Amino acid sequence: MTSGTLAIEAQELVKTYPGGVQAVRGISFAVEDGEAFGLLGPNGAGKTTTIGMLNSTVTPTSGRALLGGRDVARDPVGTRSISSVVFQDAVVDRPLTGRQNLELHLRLWGVSGPEGRRRLSELTEAVGIVELLDRPVGSYSGGERRRLEIARALLSAPQVLFLDEPTVGLDTRVRHDLFDAIAGLREQTGVTILMTTHYLDEAERLCDRIAVVDAGSVVACDSPANFLASLGDEMLDVRVDDTERVVRVLRSHGVAPDDVVVIGGTVTASLRAMSGGDALQLLAESSVDVRSATTRSPSLDDVYLRLTGDPIAPTDQLERTLP
Amino acid sequence: MTMTATAPATLSVIPDHRSTKVGAVRTLALRRLALTLRNPRSVAVPVLTPLLFALVIAPALANTIAAPAGANAYMTYVALATAGLLIPLNCMFSGLGVIVDRQQGAMRELLVAPIRRSSIVLGNLVAALAVTTGQLVVLIAASALRGATYTAGLHVLWFVGAALLFAILMYGLAEVLSTRLQSPEEYIGVLPVVAIVPFFFAGTLFPITSLPQWLDAVAKVLPLTHAMALFRYGLTAHSGVQALHNIWGMSNAGVMALLSLAVVGLYALVVFVGAIRLFTRAGTS
Repeated sequence: MTSGTLAIEAQELVKTYPGGVQAVRGISFAVEDGEAFGLLGPNGAGKTTTIGMLNSTVTPTSGRALLGGRDVARDPVGTRSISSVVFQDAVVDRPLTGRQNLELHLRLWGVSGPEGRRRLSELTEAVGIVELLDRPVGSYSGGERRRLEIARALLSAPQVLFLDEPTVGLDTRVRHDLFDAIAGLREQTGVTILMTTHYLDEAERLCDRIAVVDAGSVVACDSPANFLASLGDEMLDVRVDDTERVVRVLRSHGVAPDDVVVIGGTVTASLRAMSGGDALQLLAESSVDVRSATTRSPSLDDVYLRLTGDPIAPTDQLERTLP
Repeated sequence: MTMTATAPATLSVIPDHRSTKVGAVRTLALRRLALTLRNPRSVAVPVLTPLLFALVIAPALANTIAAPAGANAYMTYVALATAGLLIPLNCMFSGLGVIVDRQQGAMRELLVAPIRRSSIVLGNLVAALAVTTGQLVVLIAASALRGATYTAGLHVLWFVGAALLFAILMYGLAEVLSTRLQSPEEYIGVLPVVAIVPFFFAGTLFPITSLPQWLDAVAKVLPLTHAMALFRYGLTAHSGVQALHNIWGMSNAGVMALLSLAVVGLYALVVFVGAIRLFTRAGTS
């Protein structure tokens, strides 16, 4: 964060679509200039609708959105001039070349002449697509196209960059590669980022703060470090036939109700006052038949589970498996 | 493919900026033209279609239907009628691009650009007008070379004015349909009803007085009938006066031409303003 001024303000935003579908039920948050802020939640949580209300493509049913202190509803063109969006899906003109797409963006955002050309050259170099520029975008891979879109979004030097699930559909390697590029560009430009994602590792890697969104509402907002610290030092996952019995045993030995989550035949518990080994010993003494057990560090997935009761993505951060 | 990014230490700063309305319309028109004319087929079809009508179909119909003495006049009559087909078809096909933009995602980028929504519609209109103008020039030039006889001078402005307003009307209709209809298939299904059917009842291949009486009344409210009469009035004064008289039944050609121009203009104004409003509303859910 570079200063205390607000780049984005969402004030009690509500969106109800015709037919009574409530996509967003009163979301409020504020993002400081230069901050990277994440909206984390599953599909249908209201993340994209929230971004739509901030970039004036969705009209709020009630509430107020401000970008750079300007009211989005009153000055949609002005607020769009200081922001850019990288969408979930490709929004490029595929028959045109990468260069033509970038030049189109420059002209639409009113950046012309040598400044625009210099910016285009710098950004395409920064995201590593210089050699692709004169090929039709239809011939790009998914990762290349997404790099082009990120470069394009930054061409006009926006004050606010909306990243709406920017890596969805990309394979893991390309996803990580792309995220390095985004993080590097953030360092160079100081742009304020509002990102939606359901990839927890991305949110943890890029965002200074995260708002967990569930069913159209923000259920918690904090830094990734504080979220993780709230879970203790160690997580235990046990697969059993009788989950209720495991929950009873753990709770009777001081594990808080909020710290135990059951998904199918797996019980996940945050361990604060005991180690994983102690917990397994306890289950063995209580004659619980444990099929498999794993201990690991807490992840944002656990945060999400604890806050919403639903898993957001498969955990891939196993550290060691106990016998 | 793994790419290695060599990022510069800092990125250049650019001053406050915003595209002007004219600049935005120009940019969007050039985009649409670049997309329309992106391959040889896209260039060839708009050029070959008027050539086919001017050099083959009009002379063939004239030789088949008209007496030898009147063949040249009828060829001119049919060649001009082709304008009443080319303008709607080209404008309607331009509207298809809006659906493609929406389906392939490019529309989302345009909707978050710092431009007014109306600029998007106007940009597409300018591109459609540019292609239509090219087609009409090819049509008139080729048919003149084939023997059609047109009057020259300022009277041509009646043709230009009517063609411009009629093209705005047809593109407005295309924009309305492309905003309302979700898929290219639905759009293509409606296209003949809007662009082709009126052609046969608007005094194109024969005067509207040859129609049954009830259809004659229908023809008089069709904008194409008025545009067609003005096309003829602008480029072939005699048949134009006759066409205008068939609509209005007056003797003052200038008054009749003004009335017909007002009719086409009113249609164009109502439909195009409606199209912009509809598009603007649809751009924000």
